Amino acid sequence: MSTSEHPRRGGRIGAAVVAVACVAPFVYLLVLSFAERWAFPDVMPASWSGRFWVRALTGGALTGSFGISLVVSLLVAVVSTAAGFVTAKYVAYHRHRQRLLLLAYVPFAMSPVILGTCLMYLYLRAGLVGTVAGVVIAQTTFAYGYAIVLFTAFWSPRTKDLEALVYTLGGSPAQAYRRVLLPVAKGALLLCFFQTFLLSWFQYGLTLLIGAGKIQTLPLKVYDYVNEANPYNAAVASCLLVLPPVLMLWANKRALSSGGLQVSSSP
Amino acid sequence: MPDLHTDPFLRVSNIEKTFGPEAVLHDVSLTLAQQRTLAVLGRSGCGKTTLLKILAGLETADAGRVVVEGEDVTDAPAQSRGIVYLYQEPLLFPHLDVFENVAFGLRLRGVDKQSIKEQVDRMIGDLGLRGQEQKRPNQLSGGQRQRVAFGRAVIVNPRLLLLDEPFASLDVETRALMQQLYTRIAEAYAITALFVTHDLKEALLMGDEIGHMRAGRLHVYPSRQAFINDPNSGVAQEVAFWERIKS
Repeated sequence: MSTSEHPRRGGRIGAAVVAVACVAPFVYLLVLSFAERWAFPDVMPASWSGRFWVRALTGGALTGSFGISLVVSLLVAVVSTAAGFVTAKYVAYHRHRQRLLLLAYVPFAMSPVILGTCLMYLYLRAGLVGTVAGVVIAQTTFAYGYAIVLFTAFWSPRTKDLEALVYTLGGSPAQAYRRVLLPVAKGALLLCFFQTFLLSWFQYGLTLLIGAGKIQTLPLKVYDYVNEANPYNAAVASCLLVLPPVLMLWANKRALSSGGLQVSSSP
Repeated sequence: MPDLHTDPFLRVSNIEKTFGPEAVLHDVSLTLAQQRTLAVLGRSGCGKTTLLKILAGLETADAGRVVVEGEDVTDAPAQSRGIVYLYQEPLLFPHLDVFENVAFGLRLRGVDKQSIKEQVDRMIGDLGLRGQEQKRPNQLSGGQRQRVAFGRAVIVNPRLLLLDEPFASLDVETRALMQQLYTRIAEAYAITALFVTHDLKEALLMGDEIGHMRAGRLHVYPSRQAFINDPNSGVAQEVAFWERIKS
């Protein structure tokens, strides 16, 4: 055996350990969701059942929460990605770019719960507390700021020149967006949609506060089940919570690996 | 009604432009006949690019008028001027291959597919890019990219082509080839152009007429000989340099 094989084998073992550490919690959740009785110190459940999944998938409370979470997160992702894309252009090309960009960071300066508390009176007066619209608006406040920060890097002088080039070639602003800006921004748009969806999908504190407990998204459901000492339902809810991000990650794999924020592939 | 027989093809009158306290263009005027190339020589920062961007409609002038073929386009948007601006960097659309980059302006105009294919094929042949049609911009050399950018600009038959130091980033050999290519294509496609450069020899090679820009002021020489004879044009210093080398 050559000496160079030792580091290679060590690397493989290290990679395997990291992979197991990453995957193990999800495998555990999946096993727990199919368990009926699993007492300490048993290594595996004493009996198995799919009834928690059947209940979750056939119109139980979890189905409703999954639906609400999906609607809220999709709305937040679509609105903040679209609005962030347009706003970032204005910010990036503004002569006070740095000052405006600072404003986009404001939502990150305080925790979502603190910001939610600060805005609570406003939401109460607007009749938005305890509504899906209120939760979407509150979460979009964060996601929108994130999208602006992300897209400001896209709207570079080079992008501005590309747009100007379309105009001098006879194109309208709509053609510039459709034929050049959106295709060139595809990676960044996918990345932003994915990230803002995740920001919303896992949001807990702000949803609890603005939703006033009436808008039961999946993260709230997980916490409820954990508080009720109902680990099997919590496991099912957690599996459902993980499912969309995994699917999106799989769908976005190529776009993300090819460099979502690259404006141009030419030097 | 303008008289196209006596009026110049391009008339630029008294253009002024300031950025903050800095005057970038001061009372710039020029005229250019159809199918002629005006080479504008000047150092970096003298206002050449700003002048081209004003002509293209990408920048607004504080004062002055731009008239093309008797039509005042001073306040017209860039897309309706028929003036194409060719950047110093060959700014190709990174998501499109060579064929689609060249065809871009024709697609914007809704030209039918067969006509696009014929025109683009011919242009690609003229540019010496046969066999490169399916390549993406990052698979091309600097000279090839500049040729694609040039073809994309010329194929839409612009009223006026603005070239902003298009060969500045190329090596000496490629630059010489591109200068020959430009001269050939400009003649074949009856191009009227403003060619901005900081290279004295390039100005002499490319321009039917020559202007010199200094600190935002443009002086267009009545003839090439007048440019060569002007002690401020730099030609005398260039000749003296080569004489010294020779001796």
